[in-house]
Amino acid sequence: MEKIGHTHPLSAMIAEINSIFAEIGFTFAEGPERELIKHNFDDLNVPADHPSRDMQDTFYLSADDTLVMRTHTSPVQVRHMLTHTPPIRMICPGKVFRNEATDATHEAQFFQLEGLMVDKDVSLAHMKGVLEYFFSRFFGGEVQVRFRPSFFPFVEPGVEVDMMIAPQEGNKLSGRWIEVMGAGMVHPNVLRAANIDPLVYQGFAFGMGIDRLGVLRYGIDDIRLMYNGDLRFVNQF
Amino acid sequence: MKFSHNWLQTFFDTPLPAPAVIEEKLTFHSSEVEEVLSVGADTVFDVKVLPDKSAWLMSHRGLARELSVILDLPLKHDPLVGEVTLGEPLTDVRVVLDTPVCDFYGAAVIEGVTVGPSPEWLRARLEAIGQRSINNIVDATNYVMFELGQPLHAFDANTFTTDTAGNREVRVRPAKAGERLTTLSQEELALIAEDVVITDGVAGTPLALAGVKGGLNSGVTESTTRILLEAAHFDRVATRLASRRHKLPTDAAKRYENGLSRSVTPYGLVAGAKLIAEIAGGQVVGYTTAGDSTVKRPAVSVSVSDINRVLGIAIDAAAVAAILARFGYQVVQDGEVFTVTATHERDDLLIKQDLIEEVGRVYGLTHIVSIAPVPAPVIELNTRLYYAEVIRRTLTGLGFSEVYTSSFREKDIAHIKNALASDKSYLRSRLQDNLLEVRAKNIPFRDLLGLRAVQVFEIGTVFGATEEAFHVGLAVQTGTEYKAKVDDALLAMAVEALETALGVAISPVHTAPGYIEFSLEAVLPDLPVPSAYEVAQKSAAILYKPFSAYPSVSRDIAMWVGEGTGLESVEAALKTAAGSLLVRLTHLDTFTKDGRTSLAFRLVFQSNEKTLDGAEVDELMAAVYSAVAGQGWEVR
Repeated sequence: MEKIGHTHPLSAMIAEINSIFAEIGFTFAEGPERELIKHNFDDLNVPADHPSRDMQDTFYLSADDTLVMRTHTSPVQVRHMLTHTPPIRMICPGKVFRNEATDATHEAQFFQLEGLMVDKDVSLAHMKGVLEYFFSRFFGGEVQVRFRPSFFPFVEPGVEVDMMIAPQEGNKLSGRWIEVMGAGMVHPNVLRAANIDPLVYQGFAFGMGIDRLGVLRYGIDDIRLMYNGDLRFVNQF
Repeated sequence: MKFSHNWLQTFFDTPLPAPAVIEEKLTFHSSEVEEVLSVGADTVFDVKVLPDKSAWLMSHRGLARELSVILDLPLKHDPLVGEVTLGEPLTDVRVVLDTPVCDFYGAAVIEGVTVGPSPEWLRARLEAIGQRSINNIVDATNYVMFELGQPLHAFDANTFTTDTAGNREVRVRPAKAGERLTTLSQEELALIAEDVVITDGVAGTPLALAGVKGGLNSGVTESTTRILLEAAHFDRVATRLASRRHKLPTDAAKRYENGLSRSVTPYGLVAGAKLIAEIAGGQVVGYTTAGDSTVKRPAVSVSVSDINRVLGIAIDAAAVAAILARFGYQVVQDGEVFTVTATHERDDLLIKQDLIEEVGRVYGLTHIVSIAPVPAPVIELNTRLYYAEVIRRTLTGLGFSEVYTSSFREKDIAHIKNALASDKSYLRSRLQDNLLEVRAKNIPFRDLLGLRAVQVFEIGTVFGATEEAFHVGLAVQTGTEYKAKVDDALLAMAVEALETALGVAISPVHTAPGYIEFSLEAVLPDLPVPSAYEVAQKSAAILYKPFSAYPSVSRDIAMWVGEGTGLESVEAALKTAAGSLLVRLTHLDTFTKDGRTSLAFRLVFQSNEKTLDGAEVDELMAAVYSAVAGQGWEVR
């Protein structure tokens, strides 16, 4: 009979992500899952009644109309910057919530990885270097990253990030571009909301689904398996 | 939004590149192309226009301008450049604006029109981008919206009541609570005071929901001969709220809520009036307006070093000047500093970062060269993560499996205002309910998974009325029912191991038979601050294998074998005999008596295609028994 148990793939990935980012000085930060609307939207340059608020369907709380279930880990950027001074290097893996119908690729709750680096001269070139370092360590082999123009209210410029794992025999993920995350340079309004002077400091932020990393790495075909407690799934890891 | 290649070509003298090139250029310099479709002799690009560009890019003129910038191809003619002049003033129509929601309203009257089918070229344009052709008047208004981005609405002018002097009045005002409007597509709207309506000012009756949709009674019919054409500008937030309130996400509303510039409105009005006169055989009688359509765009400065510092590139002033020139902005260069005033339709160039993005995307973000990070120490360690990892290692070492479950429950303390489903209306205040369900659900899988007991744990957030905390829950069950003697011992062992690993006593906050839950938050203050993380092992190259949805069937077998018969050889013989439906073979025990060895096994069968019935498994077992006998082993 089996003696050794199983760590959930989300925990295993989070621990590994933390180890990789710790090597280059990134702190593991956290914030509440039930978050202030102010931190989840307003401080992130997402005004009320603006179409960009529709980009994320939100769960609201009945008892308190200043709260939401956080729709992303980005409010932790604000919380972290309010309590720290640059240079800042931070990651925040955490659970987030979206009010949308669930299917094999969508869950009402999932895990996101936030990253933030702020200093006097942190640029998109630094972000590219950090992401290539991370993906190379996480997926193994040499990973290239490229940016495409995009829009997220909390960054300017905003980019979509694609990665390509150097071609490897037998690795179906390798040798092709895969869209992995949204990112960009932190919007000056966000820095300002977090009491950091945008005339002195600048930095990048990124956010990606950890579930999606699991889909890519382990070939998981239905992300709902991550949250239903079925040991036929968990015990494969 | 869908864009037609043929339509875009009308803006250029030079032939546009092949669709594949356009797709690639847009993807890397402007917006994501979701799909490229062949529609008859045309190619259609479905472009994901994001909110920051929606004010000006949701039109063929907008995308043509983008292509002109990206491909460095001159536009043959830019319909939004140059003064727009309205024709003769209308003497018998007045426009009154009674609400700040409408800051500009232009009307044109076209008389002598014949409503009928659209000319072929117009039908083809609209149908290529998935629009239904309705009649020449409505098609003309839609055409102008997809060409310039300005929504238009055509009223049958004769449905307006005339006053004693024979004049008509268009009045834009807040709706009165209780007013009703039937839209062109027959939705019955009950209006509220927050809505804004276009009304027949003389009769006082609502004719359209401002910026969203026109009404049925004033709409164009086959017998219409006189058109009152509206081109107006409505507040983005008010339009958005009205469109959501009445569940009418129309193309017009989408453009207003994204901040369409009012400076575009007069261009749309003139283009619409002329097109109607051209294709419906009428004459433009004149125009009238109320409000102001002018905009003033800010002058924004950016230096070459700002651009390089943010993007991490090394572009020079000449290259920046060349890129900015393509947009048609007003640019003043002073050494390495550029002061830029956007064209009137662009509302999105407000700070220097906006200009940096413009330069960056035209220059090409793919040209950014990465700067590798340098190793650095972590300044502060996350205590909660550190000890959560200690707990994980301890429990998995005892055979526990970690699960993540839903943060939602059917009934609990904190209520979600807009839940997905009635069984997910509350946030969980404890892990217990989920974990007991998970435990029960996994009991039937014990044989399949080779488990003696189901032992699960979760580390996760729970929610009180206002506070939230990290809890750890452990659930064990050996048999189909809870058995205190076995299960309590397993649980006690796990708790003891955790207390040893953490070095503190654990006080449960919730307990149930075979279950214990404690607060990690409560324990943390008593734990020493860690000095370094354990290095996480790179997980082995695991590939998830989808599992069968059908139940498994277990059978046990015990046999005497000769002393010296290896376990492996017996297992190999059993596997061969049982065939491909055997999904797990578990060795249960071994004992030796009187020079003979007894081996016991559990065989678990499962199909990917169906539920196995007893007779099928009996047949498989018969093959196993006969193989065992063939080896000279004696079934007990």
